Amino acid sequence: MLTFGHPLFLTGLLTAAVPIWLHLSYRRTPVPKDFPSLRLIRLSVEAVVRRLKLRNWLLLALRLLVLLLLVIGLARPYLGSTFGSLAHTGAPAAFVVILDNSLSMGVTHQGISLFNSAKAKALEILERMGPSDKASVALLHDPGTLLFTQLSWDKQDLKEAVRNAPLSYSGTNLPGVLQAAVKLVAPVRSYKRIVYLITDMTRVAWKPLLESGDVLGRIDAGIELVLIPVGDGTPPNLAVAEVSLDQPLVMKGRPATLWVTVANHGDRARSTRLSVLVDGDKKHDIPIEVEGRSRQRVKVPVTFPAEGMVAVTAHLPADSLPHDDVRYLAVQVLPPQKVLILKPPADRDGTPSRDDLFLRFALNPLNRSEGATFVVESREPEEALSLRLADYTAVYLVNQRQLPEPLVGRLADYVLGGGYCILFLGSRTDPDWYNSALLDTPGGRHLLPARLFKRVGNAVSKAIAYQLTDLDTGHPAFSLFATEGNGDPRRAHVWEFFQVQPNSGALVLARMSHGLPGLVEERRGQGKVLLVAFTADTSWTNWPLKPTFLPFLHQSLAGMLGRRGLRGEAIRPGMPVSMVVQQEDLHKVTLVPPQGLPVELPIRREGGAEGLLHFSTTRTELPGFYRLLLEGKEGTRTEAFAVNPPPEESDLERFPVQKVPRFRALAHRAGSATSLGDKVQEVREGKDVSRLLLWLLLVAALVETIVANRPSGLRSEARA
Amino acid sequence: MDKTRRLSRFLDPKVLASIASMEIRARSVVEGAIEGLHKSPFKGFNVEFAEYRSYVPGDPIRDIDWKVFARTDKYYIKEHEEETNLSGYLILDTSGSMSFKGDAAFNKLEYAATLAASLAFLMLKQQDSVGLVTFAEGVRKIVRPKSGMGHLKGICRELEATEPTGATDIGETLDRVAETMRKRGLLIMFSDLMDSADAIIRKARQLRTRRHEIVLFHVLDRQELTFPFEDTILFRDLEDRSEIVADAYALRREYLRRVQHLVTTFQSALRRAGIDYLLADTSRPIEASLRQFFTRRMSGGVRVA
Repeated sequence: MLTFGHPLFLTGLLTAAVPIWLHLSYRRTPVPKDFPSLRLIRLSVEAVVRRLKLRNWLLLALRLLVLLLLVIGLARPYLGSTFGSLAHTGAPAAFVVILDNSLSMGVTHQGISLFNSAKAKALEILERMGPSDKASVALLHDPGTLLFTQLSWDKQDLKEAVRNAPLSYSGTNLPGVLQAAVKLVAPVRSYKRIVYLITDMTRVAWKPLLESGDVLGRIDAGIELVLIPVGDGTPPNLAVAEVSLDQPLVMKGRPATLWVTVANHGDRARSTRLSVLVDGDKKHDIPIEVEGRSRQRVKVPVTFPAEGMVAVTAHLPADSLPHDDVRYLAVQVLPPQKVLILKPPADRDGTPSRDDLFLRFALNPLNRSEGATFVVESREPEEALSLRLADYTAVYLVNQRQLPEPLVGRLADYVLGGGYCILFLGSRTDPDWYNSALLDTPGGRHLLPARLFKRVGNAVSKAIAYQLTDLDTGHPAFSLFATEGNGDPRRAHVWEFFQVQPNSGALVLARMSHGLPGLVEERRGQGKVLLVAFTADTSWTNWPLKPTFLPFLHQSLAGMLGRRGLRGEAIRPGMPVSMVVQQEDLHKVTLVPPQGLPVELPIRREGGAEGLLHFSTTRTELPGFYRLLLEGKEGTRTEAFAVNPPPEESDLERFPVQKVPRFRALAHRAGSATSLGDKVQEVREGKDVSRLLLWLLLVAALVETIVANRPSGLRSEARA
Repeated sequence: MDKTRRLSRFLDPKVLASIASMEIRARSVVEGAIEGLHKSPFKGFNVEFAEYRSYVPGDPIRDIDWKVFARTDKYYIKEHEEETNLSGYLILDTSGSMSFKGDAAFNKLEYAATLAASLAFLMLKQQDSVGLVTFAEGVRKIVRPKSGMGHLKGICRELEATEPTGATDIGETLDRVAETMRKRGLLIMFSDLMDSADAIIRKARQLRTRRHEIVLFHVLDRQELTFPFEDTILFRDLEDRSEIVADAYALRREYLRRVQHLVTTFQSALRRAGIDYLLADTSRPIEASLRQFFTRRMSGGVRVA
């Protein structure tokens, strides 16, 4: 955009009419002249007239150009300023410098730290800050930080903030930070409003902004968006992209499989060594070769000899971006899990109920107490009154008619505190009691996820066989069956079941073949309740005889156990981490970060069920293994979590600057003749092109002289 | 030095132009220009072989018969018996374009007529017979060749009476002249050649093949040769009265190039055909043009076949 320092001079553009007038008036009345023959003149005119016309128009254009250049030059034009009427009024600037401090900026390529280069550019911009200007600094990491929530006049404070800005281990939040910066400068319309973005232009950083609709288009057109790219080219980069276990539960002393994914973001194949450490001890050192622009999954067999939280670390030799060469995983190694089955009381003749037979066999096929995943206890309801339910991973209610009232209350507490209760119905089930005692309980402490109605079908005649349909394969209990070859629960037959109506917050995990709900789950407090509308034995269904019954039971329990705590590796740097526990005697929670001193976290009592305690922290900036020490009267329990950088930040492929809409790119290389400060000044004031125009004027005048006087050679020739 | 002295005796063209009588004008020119020439520029055509005689020093080398020399290894001179009377036609272009007068004292027709009268005077003076043909789009008047100075008056009267009008058709005129001339003779044409150059050259060659001797005076005004105009000019054709507006200044180079090309074309093509071509610039004294003609003829620039 062209703006002018002395716009009044533009009235001189009217002088352009002069050569036009001269050009037209030059067509004066010709002088008549008799001539012997026009034959030669006609032939000459044909040859000359086209050239002559062109020459005349060229002369007119050159003369107009000379005048235009003179007038525009005198009006002192500035090119490139978008501030229109504000451009040359001496109006101050209000600007925000967005400094990309995401993980990808940690690259050190050819001895130059990208982040330090970016900081230097930010300081150079701030150095040009005038006494009336005001500014802020924002950091581009995810979720992003405005270091000054109000625009500041204090240049030194701003520069100090830039100097102290840390490199983050997280990704970028370009839309969010950009909108925050724009929001900060938008109200100050009497200022020249600018947002400077200093970034390494990684494609992953720009993708969300360019795909999130018309975010850029909605930004006030009066705000100049200036893009200052840093770095050059895409350095090769190897990264540990993922560390995971292939089973949801890791049991003490049982073999487990660790999968480590190594990504090569360069174009050429690379050879490297992958090291895997468990609690700091190197367990594996594996040579690998990864093709260019591809990933390789490495299988690492491990066995965890002791229970508790274990830190697994996978790392590669450091390269240009060292922060993504290591990845952490917090693994909870469990002892065998106790499961309680509440079976129906024995018959009057003393014959014990066998309704739990298939359950017991499925949960612990070899009936072992050592080396098994689940240790099953089968009790009658009366016996369960004396048991501490919190010691059990899950409690199965199998074909119960009624339960003692105290047990109902304790079961409700157990579920709300994080327990898992699975109800199998059957011929003994009294729907009225279930609805009144387990569902219509006042105070929101109900257990039942669905209301029971009449029974459907006939298990004696087996006239009609129903099948399970509409399996929720997104649920851990059925996710295994989404993969072909892992069996299909829909092959099982159900001859009789209870018609149920799920609660509003309940999920239907499977339906019967005519559409009625078959398995319904509802989250209650920290725990869950699963209702199976038919029996756990073969009296109403043949599912217990099918090979899919056992994995269903194991997976549903594993899903519940896996959900507890803070395991996994998906927590990103800076993300808040919170945890709710049911431990009334908990009095101190200490966070032990990977570096630095332990921090005590404040504990907040949660509403709802008794004994629910909540604590959280946002001190997760560093990648690594974090321990939470939960101190109670009965001792200290350890929870843990791992924080890892976002794997997409490892892809250093650049997005072309010229493809970025709305932004004005301000490319600058160290050592170039024009400093970044000068270019920043040009953004504010525009580039003074009057000198250039005057040079052009000289050239145009020279060309005009040559063209206008070209026939003078003819004149002298003719005279000679 | 001698040449300078003679040129200085040329009549002032303005003075010459003020002489109304063409006869007196011709006498003035001839007496001023030709005085001092030892030999006549005209030679008879009708030559008959007489005899061979041995070469003696002083004989013109050109008269040696080289064929005989080749056979006998001796020099022989081939002697002819000349007829005394030369029959000549003066062919004068009287088209409209000949009325053009730039800054010179004469218009082109006056200049050409004076030249013709002068030549007629010369030829009649040496007992040759001279005729006159005037033409424009076609032949206007034919005066049959006669000898004796008394015929000069008739030719001059005809020249004085001629008015320049109409277009030019040289081809047609030369055809008529060819039909009229039964014997070989001398044709001297005065024209600005404002016709197709190809046609003029073709017809002149045809005449030449009949063994006529042809002299062509290309009469042009100084302004036609230099195109000294500066302004935007409405040019009007003197023959067909058509008009064209042109920036003369811008046109000059192209026009001069074409004029030069035309003159060169005539010069080279006609001379190749054995036709004497002379460019007569009307701004030059008539005597100068005559002297140029005589000099060329006496130096043997054009040979009669």
